[in-house]
Amino acid sequence: MSVRELFWVGQETYIMQIFLPVIIGVLVFVPLLVICFAFGFGRHYWLWKLGQADDRSGRWWQRLVTTLSVAVANIRIIREKELYPGIMHALIFGGALILILGKIVRLFSYLTGITTPPQSVYLYASLVSEIGAVLLIVGGGMAIYRRYIVKPPRLDNKPEDSLIYVWVGLILLTGLMVKGYRIAISEVSPTDWALWSPVGYLLSHIFPTFITEARNEILVWHRAIIHTIPAFVLLGYIWVNRSRLQHILLSPLNIFFRSLRAKGALNPVDFETTELFGVSKIEDFTWKQLMDLDACTRCGRCQDACPAYFSGKALSPKQVILNLKDHLYEVYPVPLLRKHIESRKDMISEVITEEVIWDCTTCRACQQTCPVYIEHVDKIIDMRRNLAMERAQFPETAQGALKSLTDRGHPWRGTTATRTTWFDGLDLQVATEGKAIDMLYWVGCTAALDERNMKVSGAMVNILQAAGVNFGILGAEESCCGDPARRMGDEYLFNTIAESNIEILKRYNVRKILTTCPHCFNTLKNEYPQLGGNFEVIHHTEFIAELIRDGKLKLGALKGNRVAYHDSCYLGRYNDIYEAPRNILEAIGGIERVELGRCGTRSFCCGGGGGHMWMEEEPTQRVNERRVEEIIEAKVALAATACPYCLIMFEDGVKAKGAEETLHIRDISELVAEALGKKG
Amino acid sequence: MEMMIRVIAIIIEVVILMAITFAVLNGVRLTAFDLGIGQKYSKVLALAFLTIGIIVVVFFIAHLTTFYPPG
Repeated sequence: MSVRELFWVGQETYIMQIFLPVIIGVLVFVPLLVICFAFGFGRHYWLWKLGQADDRSGRWWQRLVTTLSVAVANIRIIREKELYPGIMHALIFGGALILILGKIVRLFSYLTGITTPPQSVYLYASLVSEIGAVLLIVGGGMAIYRRYIVKPPRLDNKPEDSLIYVWVGLILLTGLMVKGYRIAISEVSPTDWALWSPVGYLLSHIFPTFITEARNEILVWHRAIIHTIPAFVLLGYIWVNRSRLQHILLSPLNIFFRSLRAKGALNPVDFETTELFGVSKIEDFTWKQLMDLDACTRCGRCQDACPAYFSGKALSPKQVILNLKDHLYEVYPVPLLRKHIESRKDMISEVITEEVIWDCTTCRACQQTCPVYIEHVDKIIDMRRNLAMERAQFPETAQGALKSLTDRGHPWRGTTATRTTWFDGLDLQVATEGKAIDMLYWVGCTAALDERNMKVSGAMVNILQAAGVNFGILGAEESCCGDPARRMGDEYLFNTIAESNIEILKRYNVRKILTTCPHCFNTLKNEYPQLGGNFEVIHHTEFIAELIRDGKLKLGALKGNRVAYHDSCYLGRYNDIYEAPRNILEAIGGIERVELGRCGTRSFCCGGGGGHMWMEEEPTQRVNERRVEEIIEAKVALAATACPYCLIMFEDGVKAKGAEETLHIRDISELVAEALGKKG
Repeated sequence: MEMMIRVIAIIIEVVILMAITFAVLNGVRLTAFDLGIGQKYSKVLALAFLTIGIIVVVFFIAHLTTFYPPG
């Protein structure tokens, strides 16, 4: 008799008596399980259906591939290099997956006839289930340790979370105990059990009272049922509906329906047809925005990445999502009825305060780090739109910038400079009808009107002239691109400005636009197409890197400086330009380039985006000062930027920190212009 | 000694069954709220489930002490 047949001899009776009732039980409960899932999912589905339309169809293959790589391979968590939660999640996810696979094989092994005699697949399934259970227990233990002992501030615990730990723990424990009982009463050689059921074998020693077969049958039988019923039925409901585990279903769904439009393009408003100016009620959000609320796993990564939260402001992106979710379920307490309560809180003053709505710098760090692709920025901008266009409620300083935009075509109220001041004395070609230029240099409000940034536009002109580029400017005809208006919620003003600019650009037959400002770059490249303005837009870092690569710029060496490059949000996270600026710095001799602690996709905002360039901040809560502290920690003599907002914010921060003597902030174009003609 | 092992084994068993009962009844309680039962009935529900829980646990104790193998 072979070893495998021996393995089964003492078990055959018990398989009949244990598995058959379990299978019958499962089959009886399967319809209930299906109803539980349908009810649980329907509860979410009907709420999402309350939202506004949003077309998330198309590019199905791309959606599927990303969903699999993010939800199954956990690529976003791996990318964040978070070791402890990464390993914890992998153990829980991997353990659950192989446990379920092993369970399915074993559960139906009796019906498929692979049990008599037991075939390899059954024995391996037994081993695999136990390995899965152990991984799950270790991962779950790590989760409990992290949540209830370490308690990182970004995590919160609800009673449902504790319940699910108890629940899953019990299912695993009782499952392994059932095995242990069976082994304790079997007559099979212990070596075989140790091989194919190591945990069950160990547990069998803990129950020394089980020696009499007849007396144990009933105990084993009822334990198997106790183990099975909760596992298959109520878990199904709680899984989908209540616990943190609902993310197993909702996260992949949310990832699948993520936005595939350009990252830097906000949702446009069609003023011809819309009756909604932004969002003031929970139902004004789109169905996908409501799905976002359900998909949040409360991991708190967005909160950790948020510059506003880090600098002590009221905004926490995680709390925005959770408060909106609570509000949704408060307004619709019985989701399947889809009937809202009579009197509800005002969403954009009581649920999410105005202070929170205006705190956001739209840096996108929250979205970049979110493992399930929740779109925080769109929601905040939608709420701003309502405050701006319906209620005319802005912070006072923002109002000043918008008024200046309307009256003077730029947000720099109080400046005495004009659009032509910066190129006084320079021989530049101003665009005129009928005269072709290869490329339009879009200077941008800040580089044209802010005294410090005028040096950047001057440096850019030097570079272009040194490389022999045929370029022109719009001069007095240039206006703001509209980014500040759009980010501050005044979509109507943005539309007016953008349409006027597009008309001017088309009149001069402009095809290629160069700009030194990542905000202008993003708006011209990603948002103007929404209004029919399709141009080739290039940022100066990419263009300069190309000129260097083509040998059109010969750069010498600068004095031995330790330089750190700061990634601007709108250049990096919004437009994935990370390499070009670094390549430029590498091409300048005499520079030792170092990376800041937070760089690349994890770069920290300067505090100037989302209209904050023109908004007053509490002195103790200034984002720019927090970032300057990080730059000082890097022990560099010079920080290079590629954004006019970052330049201003950091110079202010350096002054506030009293570091003017030791730390200098320069735009990359200034460094390139300085290196031109110097010896290598 | 055997008697002591038997008692300990029954206690372990009862603790596990209590935890299962707690988790199941809590799940049912949360489901009840989702089905439209108002929060004002929260205390009544909790009391009802506590009663059911106690009955179930008493049954388990009786069942185990009756059928548990003496060793």
